[in-house]
Amino acid sequence: MNSFSQALDFIGRNGQIPGEPQLPTLVHLTLETVKIAWIGIGIALVIALPVGLWLGHIHRGSFVAINVGNIWRALPSLAVLAIGVAFLGLGLRNVELALIVLAVPPVITNAYVAINGVDRDVVDAARGMGFSGWQILRKVELPLGVPLIFAGIRTAALFVVSTTTIAALTGYSGSLGDIINNEASYHLSGVLGAAMCIAALALVTDLLLALVQRALTPRGVTLELHAGAHEAVGPPLAETV
Amino acid sequence: MTRKLLFAVAAALLAVVAAACGSSSKSSTTHAVKTTAQKSPGADKPPIVMGDKNFPEEYVLGSLYQQALQAKGYHITLKGNIGSSEIVWKAMTSGQIQMYPEYTGVIVSVLAGNTKPPHSASQTYNEAQAYVQKHGFTLLKPTPFYDTDAMGTLKSFATKHHLHTISDLKQFGHSVTLGGAPEFATRYEGLIGLKKVYGVNPTFKPIAIALTYKALDSNQVQVADVFTTDPQLTLGKYTILSDPKNVFGFQNVAPIVKKSVIKSEGPVFEQTLNKVSALLTLDAIRKMNAAVELDKQSPSVVAHKFLAANHLT
Amino acid sequence: MIVFANGPVIPNFGGSGSTYACERANRLFCPNWVSQNWNSVLWPALRQHVVLTVIAVVIGFAISTALALLAYRRGWIERPVVIVTSILYTIPSLALFELLVGVPGLGLSRTTAEVALVSYTLLIMFRNTLTGLREVPAEVRDAATGMGMGSMRTLLRVDLPLAMPAIIAGVRIATVTVISLATVAALIDDEGLGAPILQAISNEVFKTELIVAGGMAIALALLADGLLVLLQRALTPWARVRV
Repeated sequence: MNSFSQALDFIGRNGQIPGEPQLPTLVHLTLETVKIAWIGIGIALVIALPVGLWLGHIHRGSFVAINVGNIWRALPSLAVLAIGVAFLGLGLRNVELALIVLAVPPVITNAYVAINGVDRDVVDAARGMGFSGWQILRKVELPLGVPLIFAGIRTAALFVVSTTTIAALTGYSGSLGDIINNEASYHLSGVLGAAMCIAALALVTDLLLALVQRALTPRGVTLELHAGAHEAVGPPLAETV
Repeated sequence: MTRKLLFAVAAALLAVVAAACGSSSKSSTTHAVKTTAQKSPGADKPPIVMGDKNFPEEYVLGSLYQQALQAKGYHITLKGNIGSSEIVWKAMTSGQIQMYPEYTGVIVSVLAGNTKPPHSASQTYNEAQAYVQKHGFTLLKPTPFYDTDAMGTLKSFATKHHLHTISDLKQFGHSVTLGGAPEFATRYEGLIGLKKVYGVNPTFKPIAIALTYKALDSNQVQVADVFTTDPQLTLGKYTILSDPKNVFGFQNVAPIVKKSVIKSEGPVFEQTLNKVSALLTLDAIRKMNAAVELDKQSPSVVAHKFLAANHLT
Repeated sequence: MIVFANGPVIPNFGGSGSTYACERANRLFCPNWVSQNWNSVLWPALRQHVVLTVIAVVIGFAISTALALLAYRRGWIERPVVIVTSILYTIPSLALFELLVGVPGLGLSRTTAEVALVSYTLLIMFRNTLTGLREVPAEVRDAATGMGMGSMRTLLRVDLPLAMPAIIAGVRIATVTVISLATVAALIDDEGLGAPILQAISNEVFKTELIVAGGMAIALALLADGLLVLLQRALTPWARVRV
């Protein structure tokens, strides 16, 4: 267990190694990781949310929306990064592209399933009350779909944080993965320390998104959806073929 | 209908698994069988696990030692690409592997943590030997080749300015640009040592290691920090300035082997490894590195060709 | 011995003229390299990848099914299992592999890789199996009891078959997840399709190897996914409508 206490020391020193003056601090690398990850998630959301929500709203394209999700599950992130490097070379561009490729599908699939699955009676009732299509989406479908939509976003965020660190293996420098890929400078204790930070970062990210999700979910929905609460953790369960 | 489908799926899964399991165990012993018929000193000896570090030159070294031993009938598994020195050393001391090829200077500075640089190849070797002995290992004979940092220039540039040793760079003062990885600027085996020992004072430009030779070609830098065994040095386009005062230290390679293994494997084991090491001149390792790094041939194929040419298979 | 005093014989490694021109130029795809390295590099890596995956899924399946059956009988077990396995599932693979390397007795080995891979399958298969079991209609189970079936027989003959679609769906997601993460395992255990990918990166970003090994990993995942869909359909012909 000695190496784990050394790893904690490493975190306590903010990632500095005696005798190696030019290393970036742990805080800096963590912030960089967060930045890269959130650029990826942000772009993915901008692309995927409207598509998924709209498809769900008009109840069309289930084949595309769901199969996109199924194929995505099959994409190994290291392989996506590796192929990207071959075409685009090393650098942020390739990393972000891989992040988007990996983050878009679960968001689309879950947003689609969420909106598409909203009780038709509720939607009809809203329409009867004179809601426009846009109002129905905004005031009825979206709030009711929050848990599932967020399940997708959380899955995507998890993949993006994880992939951002894996990008270091493909030569991208500027994330916590750097430490893991540079054992020569950081020693095993640094690598373990960085691994702890990455794990913590992923858990905190998921926790924050869970809090946002809770804040956005209307009270009634929390109870009603309890039967399907398993959807809210981990990967989407959509298993339709 | 469904029954047929079920059968087909089950059969396909089974086939994939069977193909995977059935042949995975005998993958790395292809070269071993050949010479075992008549005399094979290693045939009745206990199996050994060897490791190597995480860059191409180590893959070549690992394959060379492995195949030479296999040719003598030894049962040796190669655990390749384990990691940096510290990691591989941990695997050694925890008993996961029993031997691996290491650089003498790295043993002294990285593993033993000696801060005072040794001033000769033999002193480096002796300090390294003392350290590994303390942990129950032996350092076998070193290779003739050494893989240290070195100052490389274009051959045309060196000829034009009559450059032979690093101190010849003094004539340029601050007007010559030296490229190297960022940490080169702060290390004794780098800019600090060069200034102190040779009195040269070049302008430093940090560059990525992968772009070193490109930077020389495009005259972005006139001198660059290279490695003595770089495959590009076989192209005849570049020259290395000699380092007579040994700022860059000594990095010959020798296999580190567990003492008990040397005993239990018998004398031929040690002799075989030493024979391989003795063959590894700077020219030989550069050409093998070139085949692996530039031509992308597999390290084991390159090692096999080399051993075959030297009657060690 | 005298031979060696004259220095080694350095064979021509074949690098004359245009033999390795494509490799030297690092073009996107060098067919020559693929054919030369298929038997020695790519095929063994693919095989190792399948072995890594099968071991992880089989062990993960055994553990998570046992846990799910326990939780099915004793409801309170679900919560702690979900919390622990969710945390395991959330930890990024790169971090988990390295953390396990630091655990005494594991180190850089296939065991370490398998421990991490198995831990990623638990949440998925546990949750799916448990959900599947719980969705078995109470009337059906009552009918079985009414027919005089004991609890073990009810489990084997009624609950498990009816939960089969959900169980296999879990196996499917777990399998594909493991195939993906096993590429990263190469960092600590030099085998599987991640090994040539990492090697290509360290060998001056050799494109052909990146594309071929990466493509093989993706193809393997898609193939496994497809095969498991077929298995799912074949084993549960009655469940085509279920979502």
